[in-house]
Amino acid sequence: MSTETHAVPNYGKYLVIWAFLIALLAAGTFVSYLPISRTGIALIILGISLVKTALVGLYFMHMKFEKFIPIWAVAVFPFFLLGLAGLLIFLGLTLIHI
Amino acid sequence: MSSTIAVNSMETTQTGIPTAKLGMWVFLASEVMFFAGLLGAYIVLRAGTHWPHPADELNVPAAAVNTFILLSSSMTMALSVAAVHRRDTGRLRMFLLATILLGCAFLGVKGYEYSVKFHHGHLPGTGLFWDVYFTLTGIHGLHVLIGALANLWVLSLTLKRDFFERKGHLVELSGLYWHFVDVVWIFLFPMVYLI
Repeated sequence: MSTETHAVPNYGKYLVIWAFLIALLAAGTFVSYLPISRTGIALIILGISLVKTALVGLYFMHMKFEKFIPIWAVAVFPFFLLGLAGLLIFLGLTLIHI
Repeated sequence: MSSTIAVNSMETTQTGIPTAKLGMWVFLASEVMFFAGLLGAYIVLRAGTHWPHPADELNVPAAAVNTFILLSSSMTMALSVAAVHRRDTGRLRMFLLATILLGCAFLGVKGYEYSVKFHHGHLPGTGLFWDVYFTLTGIHGLHVLIGALANLWVLSLTLKRDFFERKGHLVELSGLYWHFVDVVWIFLFPMVYLI
């Protein structure tokens, strides 16, 4: 077994995280049927996806309990993804006008 | 020789992380780049052309059920890792088996979706929308299959007497991969089916 030592959540805590994930899944699916703009829907749903990813990463993948990952790296990652997505969207919009 | 490798792979390095786990994280980083390229291509292709509303073409309820299945499998995988830390063989096998079965259920629903699309003449090569749909979901499905097979292999190893001492870390490594596959679907589901 691993020689590292970090606190592992109990079984019940994983059930709570799962319940949050399912609630977010339901919320995201519900939002997609709302009569608002597709851009608005996209922003809300991708925001929900980032929260779901954070829950899976922090709790299921134990990033919250690992000592080797600086917390700022985890915090910066979603913004990096958003920046990348924005860059690609602008590139796509540019291609439309070519 | 193999036992030496197994022990060394779990030695903590200067990074503070065992070699095997570090290797898995590096592999997952390469997978992030792989899927970022695919999703980037999808966004660029979609932005440059008329794109139908996914809900008009795809089975959103089936995909939502599949998301529920995959999120649930991530929970059972996390419970497997918790069980291995407690050296609880019974629960470890039960949760690993549940993860494998949920993975198979995901592939079953995906197979159903594909068969309906094929029946309606929607195949790869019949339009950009379907090319993107089959490429993204197909490659992800392949990752689910590989993850399920890896978990099946780890489950078979639990039959060995010295599993926890020599192979217990494999549950955590397999789990990291499984959660990554789940995270990819967390983005694929809304991007392909909802938006």
